[in-house]
Amino acid sequence: MAKVKVEFQDIALAFGRTEVLRNISLSIEPGEFFALLGPSGSGKSTLLRVIAGFAQAQSGRVLVDGRDISAVPPWKRDIGMVFQNYALWPHMTVQDNVAFGLEERKLPRNEVKHKVAAALDLVGLADFAARRPSQLSGGQQQRVALARTIAIEPKVLLLDEPLSNLDAKLRVHMRAELLALQRKLGVTTIFVTHDQEEALSISDRVAVLDAGVIQQVGAPVELFDHPASRFIASFVGTINLFAGTLRVGADAMVFESEALGTLALPGLPATAPGEVEIAFRPHVVALMEAGAPVERGLIRLDGCITEREFLGEFIRYTVRAGRADIVADQAHYTGARSFVPGDSVKLGIQPGQIRVLAR
Amino acid sequence: MSRRYTFPQAALAFVIALFLLVFLVVPVLTVIFVAFTNSDGSLTLAHFRSFFQLTLMREAFYNSLYVGGMSVVVSSFFALPLAYFTARFQFRGALLVQTLGVLPLIMPPFVGATAMQLLFGRSGSLNLILGDWFDFNLPLMEGLNAVIFVEALHYFPFILLNLTVALNNIDSAMEESAQNLGASGFRLFRRIVFPLALPGYIAGAALVFLKVFDDVATPLVLNVTDILAAQAYFRITSIGIDDPIGYVASVIMVIASMAALWGSTWVMRGKDYATLQRGGSSLATRKLGPWQAVFAYGWIALVLLLVLSPHLGLALLSFSKMWSFTVIPETYTLDNYAAVFRDSPFMLWNSLLYCGIAAGLDVAIGTAIAYLMLRTKLPGRRLLDFVASAAVAIPGIVLGIGYLRTFRGFNLPFTDLPFVSFWMIIAFAFTVRRLPYALRSCVASLQQVHISMEEAAENLGANNRRTIFRIVVPLMAGGILAGFVTSFLTAAVEISATLMLVSATSDAPASYGIYLYMQSIVGRGPGAALGVITVVLVGLGTYASHRIMRARSMRFETLQALK
Repeated sequence: MAKVKVEFQDIALAFGRTEVLRNISLSIEPGEFFALLGPSGSGKSTLLRVIAGFAQAQSGRVLVDGRDISAVPPWKRDIGMVFQNYALWPHMTVQDNVAFGLEERKLPRNEVKHKVAAALDLVGLADFAARRPSQLSGGQQQRVALARTIAIEPKVLLLDEPLSNLDAKLRVHMRAELLALQRKLGVTTIFVTHDQEEALSISDRVAVLDAGVIQQVGAPVELFDHPASRFIASFVGTINLFAGTLRVGADAMVFESEALGTLALPGLPATAPGEVEIAFRPHVVALMEAGAPVERGLIRLDGCITEREFLGEFIRYTVRAGRADIVADQAHYTGARSFVPGDSVKLGIQPGQIRVLAR
Repeated sequence: MSRRYTFPQAALAFVIALFLLVFLVVPVLTVIFVAFTNSDGSLTLAHFRSFFQLTLMREAFYNSLYVGGMSVVVSSFFALPLAYFTARFQFRGALLVQTLGVLPLIMPPFVGATAMQLLFGRSGSLNLILGDWFDFNLPLMEGLNAVIFVEALHYFPFILLNLTVALNNIDSAMEESAQNLGASGFRLFRRIVFPLALPGYIAGAALVFLKVFDDVATPLVLNVTDILAAQAYFRITSIGIDDPIGYVASVIMVIASMAALWGSTWVMRGKDYATLQRGGSSLATRKLGPWQAVFAYGWIALVLLLVLSPHLGLALLSFSKMWSFTVIPETYTLDNYAAVFRDSPFMLWNSLLYCGIAAGLDVAIGTAIAYLMLRTKLPGRRLLDFVASAAVAIPGIVLGIGYLRTFRGFNLPFTDLPFVSFWMIIAFAFTVRRLPYALRSCVASLQQVHISMEEAAENLGANNRRTIFRIVVPLMAGGILAGFVTSFLTAAVEISATLMLVSATSDAPASYGIYLYMQSIVGRGPGAALGVITVVLVGLGTYASHRIMRARSMRFETLQALK
């Protein structure tokens, strides 16, 4: 299958007065597994529908393989879409569903049969060809929807919240299966989700949308480690955020805030002083007993445990330090030191893990 | 969708609009226009003044409102307990209640009216027995009472069915959360169950009122002439097509029907809550206590007896040689059926033809409007839906008068035959009258088809037209079939427009034949026989379509639940 590139050039779309997409410019590389991530109402599904031809942008262009497809009707686009509710036709059997697109392409009958069998085989449903969609489980219906779409060998594969109707366990399983299938086919895949874990875990790159605007595009690690804004920082993973003022101190930058008081941030990369927010992930905060010696080079704070959540792999503490509530995740293993609410603790934060976000 | 609409869609909408304009809008407006103008065309209210100066017309006006309102009251009296039993209790009568609900609809009230007279009239079976044993008479069939009794008995299923559906659509979580918060017993019913079910009741009640108001044949068969529909009919047929009083009566009927319809939607606005959640369950049903069981089964037995009485009476009448002043006929014969098969099988064929045409047109128009309304942005699509649905508030008599007046002077193309005496006009009247029901059925079934079903087809390479024929129509098939059957069967027993429009007996459908027979004492027997034949055919049709549709819906049910 030839791998194609998908480009958005300055897409804008509004329903009446509601602006749904603004200035969307984005380039998705051939063969990429690309996620559109955003909260509900962010416009991510609409963007997907623009590619499929079910929504028409008021301005801007969509290029697939370098060709503007804005004027091409949906049925001539060769862009496969798996719908959130699967949209399997209840009046057709599984194989009729899968054969549909091939029949519309007027393929010879034996070729249709062959390709239907191959597609069903690929998703492991060869034995279910004669069933009706209503006789399948949710996971199986999802596979049929997938088989129906890949049977036509689309140039681009679109997945609209494909895992949202599955239960948690099946979702993790199908997610790995989806990725394996995509790697095997090599088809450029765009995948819409509101679940950041899902987006980070399987995609090559992610575009985060909010209020119809792309907030940041990057590889999952990049988004996680270097969020471009407060929105990204808090939407992708959990994070501690504090607003304050950054100024140049004697031998390091100094961060002053009402919540945390005055903090020296040694080793911070050169940053312009001014009104900022500092951000750090819960798992970079080390917790120690109140009297314990603190490793050199860490930012030190004193605090008191107020809440404790046991999450299996780690324990999530909320620590009151000064006027701030800091979330700290401590790895959990048998015999690990743990705290209870009321314990006095010392917090240590690696300065290198602190991100400064402009306000 | 990207485009607002395509050229073929606009062309289709134009054709439908033209049909509705010619066969609904213009005739009704003509009736209204005539009621408000002098013969020279100037506007006037004089006709209304002279209408209300006539004592007979004033009485007819009040009587019509009284009969309509009381029919709703008596219908509610039959329906409310039955609906409550089925929704709240576990008992074997549920199927019985359903059947009971459909039975009277199969037979129009005027067909059974004569039989009811013989059973419940002053010298009918019941009063003969009561008179013999207790020297006592029940005036069930005296004057307006007769109309109310017969109409209520036939139309209470509208309330029963709507209310039962509304009760079954209440999610048990609604009730449980109220119980959880401390409500129970009558208070729970008054604050939660009743308000949630009210829209269903109102919808049913409005339909009963409309039906009763529309019915002209039943009062005539029962010899009640001082009501609006009958007066409109007499004025036009005996005094003439130019008599303004008939038009005033028509306009008042239209206003009353519209008021009932809009009143019910106004009461229900914003209150039509379908509360049943995905995966939710209906109200919990309880076991009947011993006394409750006695009451429930007793009530069902009583209503069932009443409901079946016109059917039984009609059957008896059809086999009787002579039936008067006796509890049941004394001599039996097959002559009546012989007479029907000798004289009027063509009427059954006429019915089949007219109803087939009407039902076919109805589902075609209904499907088209549903698609235009839900799947395109064609300007005026809502107006199309509104006009087609508004036909429900136009009494058959009024539509008939409108046709006669509008098309007088028009000849069939290439002939000298007047257009109003062309048989197709009856089929068109049926089409317009049954369109609202077929349309609702089509719209509801298209609403159930998730748009992504079509998008998936387009995504896989099917264009608009292919998508409609491979996906939309097959998925709507159940609703289209239901619409066809409803249109066909209800058109088969249509009488009020027919009464105005039949110009030659050879063009008459079976319902008209029954009415005609019932006019004379000697005709009662053959009339009953024709009635029995029609009712049996309609009943078989209903049953068959019910079976087909149940088989279909079971196949799709699971997937529908997913959405």
